Amino acid sequence: MTTPTNSSERHADEFLSHTVPPTSTTLTVFAALVGLAMLALLIGFSELGPIKVLASLGCATVQACVLGYFFMELKQADKLTWLVVASGFFFTGIQFVFTLTDYLTRHLGVL
Amino acid sequence: MTTDNATVPETSYGPVAHHFNNMGQQHATVRLGMWLFLVTEILFFGAAFVAYTAYRIWYPKDFEAGSAALNAGIASVNTFLLLISSLTVTLAIRCAYVGNRKGLIRNLILTTLLGTVFLGLKAREYQLDYVEGLIPGNVALTKEAAENVLRARADNPNLVVNNFNENLKVVLKHNGFQGVPGKDYDPSRVQLFFMFYYGITGLHVLHMVIGLGLLSWQIVLAMMGFFDFKSRYIYVETLSLYWHFVDMVWMFVLPLLYLCGPHTFGQAVEQFKLAIGLGSGSGH
Repeated sequence: MTTPTNSSERHADEFLSHTVPPTSTTLTVFAALVGLAMLALLIGFSELGPIKVLASLGCATVQACVLGYFFMELKQADKLTWLVVASGFFFTGIQFVFTLTDYLTRHLGVL
Repeated sequence: MTTDNATVPETSYGPVAHHFNNMGQQHATVRLGMWLFLVTEILFFGAAFVAYTAYRIWYPKDFEAGSAALNAGIASVNTFLLLISSLTVTLAIRCAYVGNRKGLIRNLILTTLLGTVFLGLKAREYQLDYVEGLIPGNVALTKEAAENVLRARADNPNLVVNNFNENLKVVLKHNGFQGVPGKDYDPSRVQLFFMFYYGITGLHVLHMVIGLGLLSWQIVLAMMGFFDFKSRYIYVETLSLYWHFVDMVWMFVLPLLYLCGPHTFGQAVEQFKLAIGLGSGSGH
């Protein structure tokens, strides 16, 4: 590549600061996801009683985090993207808390 | 804003749109746009899961019974299909990034094929649910359920039955579910579970179909040489964000809907064999 002469060409290289991970990394992350999926199925096919649902959701959350951090490139994302993702989960939390606070306190003992 | 952007850099990176200062900013904006859309999708599915959570907390045993009637075998295979498709779409980004057109097209086609197989298995699952009479409402009785009702009516001619409940009892008996209807679970409430099952999986299927359409479009663009400008890998990456999100939703659908009730690995294998025509069961 020739030495950039104008600011446009100098800045054109900035997109290289965000790199696409090599294939070996992708395959490693994929192996981790497959392992987690098998763990999720193992939990699902077992009889853990009341903790089964928590274990399943915990495993799903870890899978989602691995998928998001590596495959969805949150690892390299800027702060604004992280803020947007966090806000999504924050508002989902509001959805859960306010809705369930209402519904689960209705008809107490009368179902 | 500098006027330098009027000059298109003579690189293989492709032109920067006039309202961006540089390619890095343009790419970051494209990514942010897709993430903003995905946040709305999180809220969209979140609403369905909130409703599911409320009813599951109210009726846990009925939801377990409903889950026991589902085909965990197909769901398990679909999980791995989606994971592999996430891998292939990520490899497609790498191919676009380094300018490997053939690899890009190959990986996009593989992703599309895997998604299509997923939808094929899902369609088969819905067909089996229909054959087994697991549609909420007063659907037709299956053969075995009708025989059970006839036997019951021999003792009690005035017996009133709900067809879905009767069909469900047959399916659960075949799946080895130990609960007693009326005592351990209420078959009528299981219909609520099935509304969530069809609603949530139906929404997921809709998103898969849209994703497959976008993938097909990108395959055509790749064949036309659109991604020969390496900086355009960002559009493959943007599509992959959507596809990974659909996979992420499935990661929560599996334990909440399919694995909520009692299932065994052997049962899942038998259910999958039945689904692809290798099983010994012939419907109920």
